[in-house]
Amino acid sequence: MTDAAIAVPAGRVPAAGALQAHAAQRRRQLVVAAIALALMAAVPLVVGDAYLRNILILTLMYAALAQAWNILGGYCGQISLGHALYFGAGAYTTSVLFVHFGVLPWFGMVAGALLAAVMALLLGWLCFRLKGHYFAIATLVIAEIGLLLVHNWDYVGAAMGIQWPLGPDSWATLQFARNKAPYFYFVLGLFALTWLITFWVEGSRWGYWWRAVKDNPEASESLGVTVFRSKMAAAALSASLTAVGGGFYAAFVAYIDPDSVMHFRFSLLMVLPVVLGGIGTLWGPLLGAVILIPLTEAIRSYMGGSGTGTDLIVYGALVMGVAVLKPEGLIGLFSGWRRKAGAA
Amino acid sequence: MNAQAIAQVLASGVLMGLMYALIAVGLSLIFGLMDVVNFAHGEFLMMGMYLTFGLAVGLHLDPIIGMPIVGGVLFMAGVLVYLLIVRHAMRAKANVGMVQIFSTFGLGTLMQGLAQYFLTPDYRQISDSWLANKTVEIGGVFLPQPQIAGAVVSLLAFGGLYLLMSRTDFGRALEATREDQGAVALVGIDRNRVFALGWGLGLAMVGVAGAMLANFYYIHPQVGGAFSGIAYVVVALGGFGSVFGALVGGVIVGLVEAMTTLVLPASLKTVGVYALYLLVVLLRPSGLFGRL
Amino acid sequence: MKRRDIMMQMAGLGVLALASSPSWAADEDIVVGAIYPMSGPNAQVGVDARHAIDTALQIINTPTQVDLPGAAGAGIASLGGRKLRVVYADHQADPQKGRAEAERLITQEKAVAIIGCFHSSVAATVGTTCERYGVPFVCADSSSPSLHRRNLKYFFRPAAHDEMFSEAMFDFMDLQKKQGKKVETVALFFEDTIFGTDSSTVQRKLAAERGYKVAADVKFRANSPSLSAEVQQLKSANADVLLPSCYTTDVILLMNTCAQLGYKPRNIVAQAAGFVEKAALDVVGDKLQGMITRASFALDTAGKRPSIGFVNAAFKARAGRDLNDASSRQFMAAIVLADALQRAGSTDGEKLRAALAATDIPGDKTIMPWSRVKFDASGQNTFASPVLQQYKGTGFVTIFPTAVAMAQPVWPMNG
Repeated sequence: MTDAAIAVPAGRVPAAGALQAHAAQRRRQLVVAAIALALMAAVPLVVGDAYLRNILILTLMYAALAQAWNILGGYCGQISLGHALYFGAGAYTTSVLFVHFGVLPWFGMVAGALLAAVMALLLGWLCFRLKGHYFAIATLVIAEIGLLLVHNWDYVGAAMGIQWPLGPDSWATLQFARNKAPYFYFVLGLFALTWLITFWVEGSRWGYWWRAVKDNPEASESLGVTVFRSKMAAAALSASLTAVGGGFYAAFVAYIDPDSVMHFRFSLLMVLPVVLGGIGTLWGPLLGAVILIPLTEAIRSYMGGSGTGTDLIVYGALVMGVAVLKPEGLIGLFSGWRRKAGAA
Repeated sequence: MNAQAIAQVLASGVLMGLMYALIAVGLSLIFGLMDVVNFAHGEFLMMGMYLTFGLAVGLHLDPIIGMPIVGGVLFMAGVLVYLLIVRHAMRAKANVGMVQIFSTFGLGTLMQGLAQYFLTPDYRQISDSWLANKTVEIGGVFLPQPQIAGAVVSLLAFGGLYLLMSRTDFGRALEATREDQGAVALVGIDRNRVFALGWGLGLAMVGVAGAMLANFYYIHPQVGGAFSGIAYVVVALGGFGSVFGALVGGVIVGLVEAMTTLVLPASLKTVGVYALYLLVVLLRPSGLFGRL
Repeated sequence: MKRRDIMMQMAGLGVLALASSPSWAADEDIVVGAIYPMSGPNAQVGVDARHAIDTALQIINTPTQVDLPGAAGAGIASLGGRKLRVVYADHQADPQKGRAEAERLITQEKAVAIIGCFHSSVAATVGTTCERYGVPFVCADSSSPSLHRRNLKYFFRPAAHDEMFSEAMFDFMDLQKKQGKKVETVALFFEDTIFGTDSSTVQRKLAAERGYKVAADVKFRANSPSLSAEVQQLKSANADVLLPSCYTTDVILLMNTCAQLGYKPRNIVAQAAGFVEKAALDVVGDKLQGMITRASFALDTAGKRPSIGFVNAAFKARAGRDLNDASSRQFMAAIVLADALQRAGSTDGEKLRAALAATDIPGDKTIMPWSRVKFDASGQNTFASPVLQQYKGTGFVTIFPTAVAMAQPVWPMNG
């Protein structure tokens, strides 16, 4: 379900007009996105504090990851609870290539993306026949296997993890001691990329097929193999983008260990913003991330030091509250306003 | 390792498996009934364990005596959770399942925070109960009595559930609602009532499991995590909505987990379980006994 | 769309800007950051760390009659009597969050030093961050040997690391062997995070070097629901000495499972951690009688050194339990830091770093069995000699090295 409300005067059911309106709507979305991007790009000029920048970077990173997940989960309807596997694949590939072989992270991320794509294709081929919860649990289980294997694999450091060597600031190695602005722009670029891909998918044949299949499961029988192939492609796309995010994270933190990049909580953190913002929508993941991530960070930082668990109480209550009071995602708030504004 | 050692490993695996089954059956009931992933399942297990601990320390009630009380309290909690939270979350017109994940995840986090706040993160254990530290030895194989009790209760619970589902009106209503939510109103079944009672029953089961687990396992706010992870796999392996599947799934998981330590380093034992799950669902996409 | 975006981001930033305005407390206070796990499975460690560091602050900030550096005066005398204030942060066992908190404490709270972290993985990123900002990091209790070998100038560890701890354990076993006791085989039993991995790596190496046969080498997943199969492996091996490295939850499960399977280890020489936590001792203490563990802190020597009893009492008043291996190190970290501030006469990062590097506190002016506090070029206090203690009744008795021992060890633990 897109959040594009086509304004049609009551009583008139245009035919060709509707197509034109839709195309215009699509163009408008691109314009809005460009403006939003420009505004976001200006933020580091205004915000200089390291901690705040850190939160912004994490927010955009999760927005990008959530958007990548959204392609497979929201549009294509395959709910994966194991995307941390791809995140970790990207993080580890980038780290191993850089630390052991001196390969720059830019190439390492590409390698990670390719690895993740191959893994996704394999897993998709095995698991897409599974329905609903069985598929979700299969993804979860596969990610856990990945975590356990890496945790016990000495070559990639096992539990010790991989420490990136300290070096001078450089765009080549994507290492910056204190300046966070480069990381911000990288992750902004990543988000823009995922948004564009989602935008393209939404308007493509794939998007059309997937919406048809979601609305009418029997249609999947007749569309059969075609849909399967497109799902595989979506899985590969989603996985590679997630892996790039993982590679970025490794460069950003400069130290990774299995629990810090492959744990289930990462899989969850890629899904929650989408659900919060609006699953299967273009702007939902960003909206969800913008609300969820700063909240999580601020609550932990300013309430977590006490050791009393109050931060968990507030966080849990908020998450539950939104789910109960606004189950279709917060994007619904904005569609509602727009519709009211349009009708007025 | 000699034969006796292997027998020990397998015996321990079966006993633990029956506990896993008991922990998982509540999840399976709720899953099967309304397609809801209860992400707070582990936290309700934790709640059951803390309640048992409180009864043991405060009222000197042995966990075996406390078990029905804990089951009853969690039954009421289940009904409340459905009426106050899940029912509202199900109002979503789109992606109902995902939203339920979100709301129950929030509930779980909230419960962890409350537990840490009121009970501190410290670890508790019930040290003096009727069965604590007692073991039965058969031919060199040691069977700890608390685990035996847990296994027995598990089997009894499954038996009771089977009778409930097949012989009582409520059980049949539960079955009917699971098969076709929309149509049951036509035969006079109040869907909301069935859902609420279904949640109550599911959480009561997990409460009973918590009481038996508290007999031999330590208690702290995060104790639910490891067990609920295994519970999801057990339910999926056995087949969503199948009570018998949860029993079989649990025992298989317990056995496989134990047997994997004979061939792999112990830190990888869950890999054996996960690999088995994947193998099963690839051959039978609805799990062993699930219906889809 | 753009309206929504601007709104959301402004709102987010607004909340953060409000929340991040400096705290109300007196600006003259010297702020130090402390980063510990305050939630999650190790939250109790964080809670105890707070109590330990608060105890140190009380001694530093108010005139106190105890023979410790900084106790006599109120606050840091060379800085005009300014008081020390600690801001605590939760890292949730995540290296990225630890780093974020370190940055926040340094840039927003203006922390002049950081104390932390328990988890060695978090100490890695916090150490790097402190290095980048030129702020000293006093690594109180993370014991991975790799931490001080990264060429960091701002890293200081007053306490021992895993190699030193394990060497002491093997020195003790060598002594028993020399005295004719049967000590031929060892069993390694370690959890799978950095702590267990580091510990077992060193122990494996030492066993090979010193001629002990490793009868069982069992790596287990931390916080497992069941350890029956793992314990069965230990039982089958029946080594002379069990060398476990476990956190609290696994200690409880391990000892309970041993009892259930009818296995009584002949001897246990433990890597502290869970084995010296009150929660574990309360629950399975009866099964741990005679257990030997490495220790940073020897409470039973309080008779010889009054400061030990004094500090323990002050800590116990806050925490409801005695100081142990971890909390004593956290306490000392704060004391060492205050001593350095006093000598630096400045909160400037470089000057404080130099003062820390020049630290030379005699052992009897601490509450630890160390011979002194003096950092080598890599920031490690090589004089932080650990002791070994044996669990008897409800307390620990120091049994090694012989020079500081308060009693003869009982060996074997289970005949």
